[in-house]
Amino acid sequence: MKVVESAVPVACWSCSVAHNESTLFCPHCSKIQPPPDGDYYSVFGLTPKLEIDLAVLEHEFYRLSRKLHPDRFARAQEREKEWSLADTALLNDAYRTLKDPLRRTEYLLKLHGACIGEEFAGADGNGRRDPSRVPADLLEEVFDLNMQIEEMRAARKTGAIDRELESNLTEAKEKFQSLLDAVDADLRTQWRAWDAGNGAARGTAQKAMVALLDRRRYLSNLLRDVTETLGA
Amino acid sequence: MAYSDKVVDHYNNPRNVGTLDKSSDEVGTGLVGAPECGDVMRLQIRVNPETQVIEEAKFKTFGCGSAIASSSLATEWIKGRTVEDALAIKNTDIVKELSLPPVKIHCSVLAEDAIRAAIGDWKKKNGVAETAATAETAK
Repeated sequence: MKVVESAVPVACWSCSVAHNESTLFCPHCSKIQPPPDGDYYSVFGLTPKLEIDLAVLEHEFYRLSRKLHPDRFARAQEREKEWSLADTALLNDAYRTLKDPLRRTEYLLKLHGACIGEEFAGADGNGRRDPSRVPADLLEEVFDLNMQIEEMRAARKTGAIDRELESNLTEAKEKFQSLLDAVDADLRTQWRAWDAGNGAARGTAQKAMVALLDRRRYLSNLLRDVTETLGA
Repeated sequence: MAYSDKVVDHYNNPRNVGTLDKSSDEVGTGLVGAPECGDVMRLQIRVNPETQVIEEAKFKTFGCGSAIASSSLATEWIKGRTVEDALAIKNTDIVKELSLPPVKIHCSVLAEDAIRAAIGDWKKKNGVAETAATAETAK
């Protein structure tokens, strides 16, 4: 993955005119180009930001999808046919990543060097844990709720219905949902800070977002389990 | 990705699952979590105040097979050791024993953290300073 700023112009294979390396079609002769090396944003001609115009994204996605349709390359050269498939795959990945707010955030932060994902799991580059990334205030509650979920599942198996447990879980579900909503609101605030800022401000926002994404993962896993248990 | 036989064994027959009395002075509790995967692990020890030997260890982990196996193995290993000996257990020992793949190394880190947290809690309860205790055993 490369950041768009580092993109160097490449020459079109057909007309030899130099163009931005992330275009799927040559702006000069309109011929299809091989899958570009740039980031997902540049595929759509978007500035790499966290708040994006989803209508523009969707419009570009459909426009490019139509242009890449295999039928349009029925009489094209063999390599153009191959590129149309490869470009379509890239376009789909790019669209799926950018349209989802969380995937988009993770993607852009990773482009800027953030360590996110299970392979990092709260550890720094040497496999050591960064304690500031473990939401300690949540641990106790997370653990207790997991215990209640397990208890309820066990009770269900024996056919017993524990009304009190059930109402506890329903209450917990609502509480965790509101915590999740708060995290999402905070994320949006950080988006704006990151988009507007540069250098240090971006670094601060990035750190805040990594922590928020961690917290969010906890909460959404829990909510999924509570919902499953209650719905069972 | 396939789990190693040892992970599967610990997962199917976890050792020392349970709870110790959190309010007891002899019990140390460590609660740790891995934000990326949402795992949460509680490890408890009961320490003999005379000998500083960990006589009982219990765990409860909500998480993937590797996290459960790592904590199960950790309780097996720390039982019968002194507090200071238990601190010598490294996550890499767990990785080796369970043949954990690179993406699951954090599960072993979590188990090591849990041991440290439980011992830290016990020391705090019993007024044992972290450094003083280490100095004691160094004599």
